[in-house]
Amino acid sequence: MPHTDILTERKNFIGQGGGKTVCCDRDSVSGAVSQRACVYCGARVVLNPITDAYHIIHGPIGCSSYTWDIRGSLSSDDELYRNSFSTDLSEQDIVFGGAEKLTRAIDEVVAKHHPRLIFVYATCIVGVIGDDVEAVCRQAEQKYPLRCIPVKSPGFSGNKSYGYRMACEALMALIRPAPRPAGRLGVNLLGDFNLAGEIWIIRHYLEIIGIPIISTFTGDANYDTLMQSPQARLNLVQCAGSMTYLAGQMEEEFGIPFIKISFFGREDTSASLIRIAQALGDSGLIARARAFTQEQEARLLPFEQAWREGLAHKKAAIYVGGGFKAISLIRQFNAMGMETVIVGTQTGKAEDYELISQLVGPDTVILDDANPAELERFLKEKGADLLVGGVKERPLAYKLGLAFCDHNHERRHALAGYEGVRNFTREINLSLNSPVWSYMGGSI
Amino acid sequence: MTQNLVNLNVNPCKMCMPMGSATAFYGIARCMTILHGSQGCATYIRRHMATHYNEPVDIASTSLTEEGTVFGGEKNLLQGLKNMVELYRPEVIGVATTCLAETIGEDVERYIETFHDLHPELPVKIIPVAAAGYGGSQYEGYWHALRSVVSHVDMDTTPNQYMNIIPGLLSPADVRALKDLLDQLQVPYLLLPDLGDNLDGVHTEHYERLPQAGITLAQISKMAGSRATIEFSLLNQPAYSPGTYLRDTYGVPLFQLNMPGSLRDTDALISLLKDLGAKVPERLRQSRGRFLDAMADSHKYNAAGRAVIFGEPDFVLVTARLCCENGLLPVLCATGARSKELAPLLEADLSDCARRFHVASYQVLDNCDFDTIERKAAELGANLMIGSSDGRRVAQKLKLPLIRCAFPCHDQIGGQRVRTILYDGCLSLLDRCTNALLSQRETGFRQKVYDLYYKAPATVSLLPADQPASATASAKARELQRKTDEHPCFNGCGGQFARMHLPVAPACNIQCNYCVRKYDCANESRPGVTTEVLTPQQAFEKYRYVKSRLPELKVVGIAGPGDSLAEWDKTRETLELIRQSDSEITFCLSTNGLLLPQYADQLAKLGVSHVTVTLNTIDPAVGARIYQHVDFMGKRYTGETAAALLLANQLAGIRRVCELGLVCKVNIVLLKGMNDQQLSQIVQTVKDLGCDQTNIMQMIPVAGAVFEHMPLTSNKEITQARRACSHILKQMNHCQQCRADAIGTLGHDRSREFCQSRLQAADAEPAIVPAATALAAVLPSSSPPSVLPAALPSLPAEPAAAASWLISILARSLISISMITRIIQSVSGNGAGLVLTAPRTAVMARAAANGRKLRTTVCGIS
Repeated sequence: MPHTDILTERKNFIGQGGGKTVCCDRDSVSGAVSQRACVYCGARVVLNPITDAYHIIHGPIGCSSYTWDIRGSLSSDDELYRNSFSTDLSEQDIVFGGAEKLTRAIDEVVAKHHPRLIFVYATCIVGVIGDDVEAVCRQAEQKYPLRCIPVKSPGFSGNKSYGYRMACEALMALIRPAPRPAGRLGVNLLGDFNLAGEIWIIRHYLEIIGIPIISTFTGDANYDTLMQSPQARLNLVQCAGSMTYLAGQMEEEFGIPFIKISFFGREDTSASLIRIAQALGDSGLIARARAFTQEQEARLLPFEQAWREGLAHKKAAIYVGGGFKAISLIRQFNAMGMETVIVGTQTGKAEDYELISQLVGPDTVILDDANPAELERFLKEKGADLLVGGVKERPLAYKLGLAFCDHNHERRHALAGYEGVRNFTREINLSLNSPVWSYMGGSI
Repeated sequence: MTQNLVNLNVNPCKMCMPMGSATAFYGIARCMTILHGSQGCATYIRRHMATHYNEPVDIASTSLTEEGTVFGGEKNLLQGLKNMVELYRPEVIGVATTCLAETIGEDVERYIETFHDLHPELPVKIIPVAAAGYGGSQYEGYWHALRSVVSHVDMDTTPNQYMNIIPGLLSPADVRALKDLLDQLQVPYLLLPDLGDNLDGVHTEHYERLPQAGITLAQISKMAGSRATIEFSLLNQPAYSPGTYLRDTYGVPLFQLNMPGSLRDTDALISLLKDLGAKVPERLRQSRGRFLDAMADSHKYNAAGRAVIFGEPDFVLVTARLCCENGLLPVLCATGARSKELAPLLEADLSDCARRFHVASYQVLDNCDFDTIERKAAELGANLMIGSSDGRRVAQKLKLPLIRCAFPCHDQIGGQRVRTILYDGCLSLLDRCTNALLSQRETGFRQKVYDLYYKAPATVSLLPADQPASATASAKARELQRKTDEHPCFNGCGGQFARMHLPVAPACNIQCNYCVRKYDCANESRPGVTTEVLTPQQAFEKYRYVKSRLPELKVVGIAGPGDSLAEWDKTRETLELIRQSDSEITFCLSTNGLLLPQYADQLAKLGVSHVTVTLNTIDPAVGARIYQHVDFMGKRYTGETAAALLLANQLAGIRRVCELGLVCKVNIVLLKGMNDQQLSQIVQTVKDLGCDQTNIMQMIPVAGAVFEHMPLTSNKEITQARRACSHILKQMNHCQQCRADAIGTLGHDRSREFCQSRLQAADAEPAIVPAATALAAVLPSSSPPSVLPAALPSLPAEPAAAASWLISILARSLISISMITRIIQSVSGNGAGLVLTAPRTAVMARAAANGRKLRTTVCGIS
């Protein structure tokens, strides 16, 4: 009996380019082998890069174990965030309640390490047994000179996007009491997690143009920098899926406007830098941004031309976490002369898919919350040469004999800015043009 | 239990039950797993398995949401099962629950019945397993899933000739080796689970998304009629043991053995199979013989090993037995699971091995996290770690080699191909351990022996036999790290630690165009100046005095005022005198590097641990503009020759001190228009030589220097320059450009309290000199502190406050007109009415002060 590749319940989540949109932002279909993770995952991804925070996972050990130091967020200072603290709840705790164990765990952390900032993540089980995590955190703040912020992230309480929002709530709870002197010249960078030092690259660009970064959310951030964030004049939102909510809250409460930007790809990087200068409304900054981007683009041009030959006309498939990354990738592939034949995301929003469907041709497949069966079917059907995705998709690409590009939070190479264009191009090339593909198949 | 944090697990050494269950189901043919719970559980487990096995890992989830959690997950599970059948057409589906499903009390067995009622046409065997994440680790999850398999599959009890083989979690390569062995012995077997192919697939033209290999349902059903069951676990609880179930339910005899991961345990398996009628082929005897041969070849190297073994209980047990057989003592055996039986099972082996090599302590821990493992590994002097990738952070911190031979291995390739069982697998693992020990010894023995017998033959006794080599090496490394942490210039923050510079080295063998040395100057704060030059004996006395008054003193440095190596005997004598009375204090030295190749080894011998070299360029053409002349071996050089000579010696010297294990920092004076475009190349160059950090610093324009009028570099420019180089090498960001006789913390120079002329009546003086008294020292002796407020009407009324701001002016270097103007501008805003200045800067100060309508008073202290 032949396989079904597409479940009936999934049909509306699959569409094609040419201005049409797909159904999205819904719960995953049971049994479909979604690539998404949970609310807790979403929250932890966003908060974990804060380098001097204690991230205590209130729950069973798995949640702590699988998220321990697996991501490539870098720190210029503290390495604390590379630990994983857990209350490691046992059967006994589930029966009698885990709140007391959490209180004692916080006491232990305080006695041993004198923390300034603790995040306590509520996992599935805590949501069910009803531990009052907020009360425990409140008591800890009364007892000790520290901030102890509950993160309401039971896995079942929504999808990964909801976890982003819970992380944003936690961040607002942290920075809300911060003193707020009137707008300093400077910006906050939201939705950059400093993977492979990407924030450092962007900080350098902005410094050259003359725009200081006051705070970052949350790559290479720490308690002190976060508390300065309400002073900024402008918020830059890179990963829109995770941080637009926070930007909205900051606009409402602190009056800081925000713009969405992206530093993936030459076009997006240049356009973003100029837009930031324009948003700050300083003609000197605008002039410097234009000069800087022109100079960088001119430097990049020979590189792009030299590498284009081996890449042009290849077919790329994209399956990534959020919409903004997919959109930037489509533009990057266009710039390389490659064709995007499949675009999918785990947590894209309606407006993302609208834009995506305008950027690609009518034959391009668009997928929301895809699964391995669908990816396999369309990768074969569309004759893709390359898949861009996360760790879970990588073995599938290789099994199908396709090149693969790691565009996830575990990578060790920067993909942002003009440096990122070079790295990205090289990575695409080293997989796409590897000799191994020519030996696949054959027989003895 | 010795963990100090009992309510908090810091860096888990275990995973959760569903992970183990999902893995076990992968050994069944045409089987899929669905996790009944929220979406994240499946995704995280898939991610972990995909990186270890490098295979697509498809595990479904019922994606429970708020609604399912409140009203029950039946709808989700029914829909999920149906969807899996549509997408994958599996013959078997494993339904593992999670924390969530177990806690809300899902009746999975009933849901499965409902599914069969609704879809009688779908011939799929659905096997549930309770796997709450808090119910145990992946170890229990694995065994419980296997137990559920044999208790749910419809059994055929007709007696047959098969042998049930039920291993613990093995790599696919080990599973294939086990199957080969059984074939060699001509033992018909039923292997549950058979992970040999599904998680280490072959590349084929057509990718099959449903795992095709593994034990089939029909084969499993025969397990009730087998001759016997061999289960490879001594630590599995009976309630989770499939072999126990088969014995108790169908009377299949059960043999529980250790995993065949050591000589004795492999022998035990073979001998059992022999008893059950198998024939041992010559090939296997040879394999054993080859293993014995190898054990003899490497026994002496292994005896130096002190291992930490961590992971699942059965893995730890058998790997520790392998190590003990070879004299490689596992000083720490740790499992994250709860397993009280592990320690008693290992005791005989461990005590025997420890007794042979006179080792006093070793430990076996269960329910252990990596925080505890790290602490214990250091305490017990481990020099090798054996386990999974999860130990990599501890290994990095303690600088131990880590042998990755268990799940998960996600930072290296090949987890699915690791061999650890049967004679050849044991040998493969043993070779990896031996080689790690050998390479440690090979890289370290020259230095170790040199340190022991050449450097300090009289003072260092021979190592006790039971002390592993690396324990000493790591003790040395820890000592150096402690010194670095307490060194205000090297620890990245200054902090509360104090240091003193002893100005015993007035002479200099080069002339930098930015430098003017002063030997009697109290009022500048920059390198190259001191109030006085001391003899080694005076320096020693001053050190003793300061140490008695300044308990936080951690570092003695020699920083000129000339070059610390130009008059080597003075520097050497000073350090020797101090070392004789204080074996603890950190020695540090800064130099232009010209004579560093000559004296690097002697510095190391004297116990200097931290060296700073000022290196401004790696281009002799630029150097020619920075240096007026270089005096070397009795001859004066100028121009590019001088610069090249200096550079060659600097580079050779830096390389040598780094080789000797000293911590080396390079100072780079940023000179606009000269080296400002080369900073990153300079930093890269010294990094390649082994330097730990660089310090890009401002040039202080000094009156009388060639570069007096060079443009100033702003703090911002310095910060930018440092940041631009920070991706290459650690940058010092807190440099205060101290005097050659600085004393105290970086933020608070107290050199004046301790200058030699004031040490005469030392004993009577209070330990901390109030600011007003300190001021008296720099004012003419006719102005006692008490008259200050009257004499200087516009100063703050409170003498101490007044004095401290005056001092602050004096303490900053009144060195160039622009700097004086800047200082005066800033203090006049604070209500100051008077500028005190040294005679040398009087003219400039007066000019600047007049513009601000301030009075100027010249005070001489020389």
